[in-house]
Amino acid sequence: MDLNKLMTYMPALLEGARNTIVLTVISVIFGAILGLFLALGRLSKNKLIDRICWFYIWLFRGTPLLMQLFFIYYALPNINPTLTLPGQWIPALLALALNSAAYLAEIIRAAIQSIDKGQMEAAKALGMSYGQAMGRVIVPQSYRRLIPPVGNELIALLKDSSLVAMIAMTELMKVTNQISTRESNAAIYLPAAVLYLAMTTIFTVVFEKLEKKYSVYE
Amino acid sequence: MMVKMEKVAKSFGSLEVLKNINFEVTKGEVVCIIGPSGSGKSTILRCLNHLERITSGSVYIEDELIDERVSGKDQLKISQKKVSEICSKLGMVFQRFNLFPHMTVLQNIIEAPITVKKVPKHEAIEYGLTLLRKVGLEDKKDEFPSRLSGGQQQRVAIARALAMRPKIMLFDEPTSALDPELVGEVLEVMKELANDGMTMIVVTHEMGFAKEVANRVLFMDKGEIMEEGTPQQIFSNPKNVRTKSFLQKVL
Ligand SMILES: Nc1ncnc2c1ncn2[C@@H]1O[C@H](COP(=O)(O)OP(=O)(O)O)[C@@H](O)[C@H]1O
Ligand SMILES: [Mg+2]
Repeated sequence: MDLNKLMTYMPALLEGARNTIVLTVISVIFGAILGLFLALGRLSKNKLIDRICWFYIWLFRGTPLLMQLFFIYYALPNINPTLTLPGQWIPALLALALNSAAYLAEIIRAAIQSIDKGQMEAAKALGMSYGQAMGRVIVPQSYRRLIPPVGNELIALLKDSSLVAMIAMTELMKVTNQISTRESNAAIYLPAAVLYLAMTTIFTVVFEKLEKKYSVYE
Repeated sequence: MMVKMEKVAKSFGSLEVLKNINFEVTKGEVVCIIGPSGSGKSTILRCLNHLERITSGSVYIEDELIDERVSGKDQLKISQKKVSEICSKLGMVFQRFNLFPHMTVLQNIIEAPITVKKVPKHEAIEYGLTLLRKVGLEDKKDEFPSRLSGGQQQRVAIARALAMRPKIMLFDEPTSALDPELVGEVLEVMKELANDGMTMIVVTHEMGFAKEVANRVLFMDKGEIMEEGTPQQIFSNPKNVRTKSFLQKVL
């Protein structure tokens, strides 16, 4: 494929890359919120809550992401037509967020458990409830420790997000597939790979910066 | 009576850590608890503020029954609100300081008054600064704890406990984690507190401090209070053989 041809496809590839980033970032944000609740649930003294959260994590980490995506996109409408989700964005976001929540839950739980036990004791001795101690003392301290593993998870998810091309969501992978078919030339995968690399590199750098910024008190 | 324990026993599983503990502390009294490591000194303090629950017996703070159990079963329903209230009356200082590392010195001090007692922020700051002046660290108010020496951290921890305006201060080996040259500054702050009339229970290995400041000394061994008396009685004329042999080792 010559350079001119490539340049004409560049806007499409870039738009695909933008969608990939938006998809990944939004999924990680929702995944982290759900993951935090799952992690707190796993640490809960209430056995039932612990079991429910354990089951969720077991389910979503134990089955392929692609299958979860197909389940949401194809199987739910078959089970009941009212479960049909509109368009591609919503099922794609839902699958990625639900899946990453399971991984993030375990990351967050490990970070919370790594905080010195003396911190919870000091908070309690000052009269804080469990919730106040978690919210004000324990969870905020886990942020810095969360940055490296969450960065890894974000990068993994960015690459895994290419799976949503399978439900015709137009992100970088899908755009590349389309161009390749139209041109009967798979060389387009090369610039697409460069774009993926650029995105993962940017996120790596951003997370390294974040880690530095949050290490002021250590 | 500020603190009273009656027939308190505490086990961790099959390990009996406290056996038939009875003692009282009156207002303004400074009681030092001494004894070998593992004798249950920390556990006594931790049972007062519900960091640990007693297995049986009763605990009173300011003449109010705050825990009563028989064979590990509650005889008294205690809400989270009540526990929080008890903790507000008891200030605790830990061996390892346990300052919140993600907060500055001043934030450490105002955190609990604001979140637990709902003190308006400006009031909490004002009192926090007063306390920092008292422990001689006003200029460190915006530092993170990791930037302070151990002695400074422990003085901040004392100020943090005082910020809740406690009636009783509990110290669990407050100087044991400090380099020898930093012990004095912390003991100095504690002496001042005692002179101000604060009721204090101090677990310590600083026999000099116990001699000078304590009104009463308890010697503990293997989960029991073996001997109790004035510093004069305990240090100059111990009656119990185990007290004698312990003091020989540490003095
Ligand atoms: N959470 C716990 N679980 C099991 N055993 C404990 C726990 N805390 C303390 N112990 C045991 O209780 C005994 C008394 O401990 P502690 O009160 O800390 O002694 P001291 O402060 O006098 O050194 C020790 O044998 C210790 O190992
Ligand atoms: Mg101890």
